[in-house]
Amino acid sequence: MVAKLKDQMTPAERASALARGEKVDRLPCNPNIANGAARIYGCKISEFNTNAKALAEAQIAVYRRFGSDSIRIFTDLFTCAEAMGAKAILPEDNTADLLEPAISDLSQIDRLRPVDPYKDGRLPVQVEAMKYLVDAIGTEAGCSVGVVGPFTNSFFLVQMEKALQLICKDPEAMHKLCRISLESCKAWAAVVMDMGLTPTISEPMSSCTVVSPRVFREFSLPYLKELVDFIKSRGRGVTMHVCGQTNKIWTDLADLGIAGMSIDNVASIRQCKESIGDQVKVLGNVDPGSVMYAGTPMDVRLATLECIRDGYDSPKGFVVMSGCSLPVETPVENIDMMMDTVREAGYPIDIEWVEAEIARCKQVLGK
Amino acid sequence: MRTKEELLAELARCVVEMEDDSVADVAREYAEAGHDPKEGILNGLIIGMNQAADLYDQEEYYIPELLICSAAMYNGLDVLKPLLPQEKQENEQKIVIGVVQGDTHDIGKNLVKIMLEAAGFTMIDLGRDVPVERFVDAVRAENPQVVALSTLMSTSMQNMGRVVQLLEEAGLRQQVKIIIGGGPVSTAFARKIGADGYSVNATDAVHLVRELLGA
Repeated sequence: MVAKLKDQMTPAERASALARGEKVDRLPCNPNIANGAARIYGCKISEFNTNAKALAEAQIAVYRRFGSDSIRIFTDLFTCAEAMGAKAILPEDNTADLLEPAISDLSQIDRLRPVDPYKDGRLPVQVEAMKYLVDAIGTEAGCSVGVVGPFTNSFFLVQMEKALQLICKDPEAMHKLCRISLESCKAWAAVVMDMGLTPTISEPMSSCTVVSPRVFREFSLPYLKELVDFIKSRGRGVTMHVCGQTNKIWTDLADLGIAGMSIDNVASIRQCKESIGDQVKVLGNVDPGSVMYAGTPMDVRLATLECIRDGYDSPKGFVVMSGCSLPVETPVENIDMMMDTVREAGYPIDIEWVEAEIARCKQVLGK
Repeated sequence: MRTKEELLAELARCVVEMEDDSVADVAREYAEAGHDPKEGILNGLIIGMNQAADLYDQEEYYIPELLICSAAMYNGLDVLKPLLPQEKQENEQKIVIGVVQGDTHDIGKNLVKIMLEAAGFTMIDLGRDVPVERFVDAVRAENPQVVALSTLMSTSMQNMGRVVQLLEEAGLRQQVKIIIGGGPVSTAFARKIGADGYSVNATDAVHLVRELLGA
């Protein structure tokens, strides 16, 4: 095992040096610890629904503990839909889930209103958490806030299967839902930027695992474009995460002018790099379930090295990341191993060393 | 008047072309002409559903299309199934399926159930967020050949392992094949918890079950 290595730069120093092509200590790395922050900080996950200070301090605790390059406020996919009238299940110590959509019947579509982030649902708690975060972190690291994309949010306004049917049966109604969702996304993103943080967009339902590229281009892309343009017009770059397979929509997303594309572990870093690496930064994609949660530290080391091997030379930059938010109970030693492997690899990457370490890990694991 | 062959082809076409509104009328026309309901199901509706599955495998169809095709299949089944003679099926192969406790997402599970049903298996659906003990109870009560566990959330992964463990403890493990599927899991995870297999999607689940049962 390697001795615990120390970072030589703050995330902000590292990011700006990389952007200028200057020397850095290592690649950026974001294990993507979501509500697992409660375990590190020592509170129940449900506190994030009401206690802004806990929400901010838990993310800070994660950053101080692991030295991850991203600090993000994101509790679950449903905060925006909930603020529009959906009901969420809020377990005491687990991630929220959708209980009831915002409307039970399509005749109620016109009753839907865009969110007021200062008033609706749990959004005000997150707004307050942003203040704590910016005060505590200052310019040491970039802070971001999750925005669920318009297409995905629409699924939570009606019911999931209903939305899937509308796509084929009532495209007009689906467009209405996406339009009103977009208004909410923009209102939320505006507040995020007003507070001095950067929005990141999650669009899981746009995945090629769920809908066809054709459906994506008709129902998701136009609204995403408006959202991305809106964020860009305020001078900010935006990173996009889409779960599942995304290879057929990478160029669509890169052409929006996003800054980064974060991909799931079922997609290929190498392919993504070759496809859009000259347009956007690529982020990914250690398997959060089988490797980070259920694997051993040696499995994590191997997967992290393979990501580095596949992505380190991506023209617009590469961030080692998990393929999605980490399961709450992901072992701390696995997260440490991910960070330490990236530290040990250093920068610039010595690809021969990486290859040799991959071979050694495989030997140890009997692969 | 349309011939039997024409009607069978029309039933299949309604399913694969997502005509869930018109399929029932075709099924009624087929039944009123006195044709065999079983053939209408197997050589009409199921053929259509299998074509839909092929289109899904070829990445022509995705989840929304597959869901409408299955709605069409079920609309046709609603007409034809009541006309089947009530006989005990021979060599009936049963599969217990459910979303493991900790997760309420069931679209994936429903698709797997639809495809296995279309493949001729009798499905016992325990629903979603199913406590681990209920899988054991269902194996004891129904004596299935296969138990299919689904999850989209990593929170349920541990419970998948628990189901395998509880079946071991109950002495029931040897009599069933256990398969898993869903976003966070993999072949490696299936091996780790002692399940018999993992399938990447609903159509693959059919291949996997057939392979495991040697059918």
